[in-house]
Amino acid sequence: MTQAATTTARDFGRVLAQRERRFAAALLAPAFLALMATTTFPLFFLIWTSAFRMDLAMPFTNGFVGFENYSVLLADERFWTSLVVSLVYTVSTVVLQVVIGLALALLVMDMKRGQGLFRLIAILPVVLSPAVVGMIWRTFMLAPEFGIVDFLAINAGLGSKNWLGDPLLAMISVIVIHTWQWTPFAFMVLLASLASLPEDIYEAARLDRATAWQRFRRITLPLLRPAIVMVIIMRTMVALTAFAAIFTVTGGGPGTATEILNLYAYRKSFTELSIGYGSALAVALLIVTILISAILFAMRRAK
Amino acid sequence: MTGKRLRVFALLAISLVFLLAWAFPVLWSVLNSLKTDRDALAYPPKLIFTPTWEAYHDVLFGSASILPNLVSSMVISVGTTVVTMLMAIPAAYALARLRFRGKKFAGFYVLATQMLPPVGIIIPYFLVLRNIGWIDTYQGIILIYLSFSLPFAIWLLVSYFEDIPFEMEEAAYLDGASRLRTLWRIIIPQVRGGIAVTVVFVFLNAWNEFLFAVVLSGNTVRPVTVAMFNFVSVEQTLWAKLAAVSVLAMLPVVVLGVVAQKHIVKGLTVGAVKGGGRR
Repeated sequence: MTQAATTTARDFGRVLAQRERRFAAALLAPAFLALMATTTFPLFFLIWTSAFRMDLAMPFTNGFVGFENYSVLLADERFWTSLVVSLVYTVSTVVLQVVIGLALALLVMDMKRGQGLFRLIAILPVVLSPAVVGMIWRTFMLAPEFGIVDFLAINAGLGSKNWLGDPLLAMISVIVIHTWQWTPFAFMVLLASLASLPEDIYEAARLDRATAWQRFRRITLPLLRPAIVMVIIMRTMVALTAFAAIFTVTGGGPGTATEILNLYAYRKSFTELSIGYGSALAVALLIVTILISAILFAMRRAK
Repeated sequence: MTGKRLRVFALLAISLVFLLAWAFPVLWSVLNSLKTDRDALAYPPKLIFTPTWEAYHDVLFGSASILPNLVSSMVISVGTTVVTMLMAIPAAYALARLRFRGKKFAGFYVLATQMLPPVGIIIPYFLVLRNIGWIDTYQGIILIYLSFSLPFAIWLLVSYFEDIPFEMEEAAYLDGASRLRTLWRIIIPQVRGGIAVTVVFVFLNAWNEFLFAVVLSGNTVRPVTVAMFNFVSVEQTLWAKLAAVSVLAMLPVVVLGVVAQKHIVKGLTVGAVKGGGRR
């Protein structure tokens, strides 16, 4: 009697679980089919096309070449340059965002009034399209004489500079533009996690007469670490695949001075129309992205 | 005492500099959009001038009107938002509330899809869409926008679904309601706020997208972020008009950003706690 009852209960439970699985599958199917079609399928197709010579301007040379694109890539000086530009761009923008964002968050945290104004203004850059941001900076901010930055440089006695025409200045300019747009992101995230830190630890530290620096170094920084690492991870991913804010400002130029790997893959594929080689560059970018994120995630786990 | 006052003053000055630095490029575009071309080109730059709607009138109703591009941007963004939400709400509910095998892997897969660089998606997609004649069409652009809007929307919605107490669903089952009915009648109304926030962010990301748009757009479908290039050329930049176009392109997202102000940190960091992120 009791055994029969438990059997039916178990059967009933199994039926319920099976129904739940089916329901879950039905709910997930549309989104997962779309995701496979728009991300997984392109990934395999990309790897496939990277094994071809696929020149849209000269279709008669097209054909399977195996790993040739990759051996060309390893000997391609422009590839290595773009990789270096990518790393310089990524590391400098991420470091600047975190340092400035953290400093400002600490400063604003202590403010009695005006926090709301900061939060409001900080939203402006992050909601804008990087394409529009790039366009505004290229013209109203950096254009020789007319742009405000150049106007200030002239009045500061530095003279008019070719901000986007000189290789070094162009690199600095695109780094500043990216930092301008995304520091508010780091600022807002770090301010939010600062606000959630427990008050009583600071009280205890104050009673122990810890200096402001000691409090920052021994309490705030360790407690903020997860948030800081998260900001670093997110911003690194974005900086590696930055596109619009460089494309609209310098187009990768002058020459290849600001051509990050992402932009090189684009230019190779859609300006020079070598889709096969462009695919190989995109695969290289994917590998770099995976390597860097593996390092960053290891950093997150480490204490 | 004076030392402390000096410090306060210095900190105030620093904060003002940063506020100004963030607001200035936007404010300066707004100011320039209200100038005549002659005032916009004046050197030194003019802060005091007679404002005019001329530039707006020209870019909206002149010969090279960007009105069709604004419409394009709107259709793409609304279309992407609708399709994304229809797929993401059920998927997020399943990931947040239901028990099934492979759930962990499914969640990981959604995060991992964001690792693929956009340029790695657009190269193969360009070839496919060219073959089926979908370049310069709304369906082509909206389809490819799902690659970034779906993972984002799913994870943001999961975080809202997880906040609802389980008891609500159980009570509904005990009353004999079907699962679909429970989802529609009980759960969805609970996360209305979360859905609204997700809609804002998906729209915003679609409106701002550039790389896919620049490859896939043509004469029929060209969003405003791509079309604004026409106002800058080597020979001549149409300063006031460019400013007006920039302001028009910024307007919807700035309004949405201010409206969703309280949720912006959550929207920006979604998925990050569990894994990667994008934009």
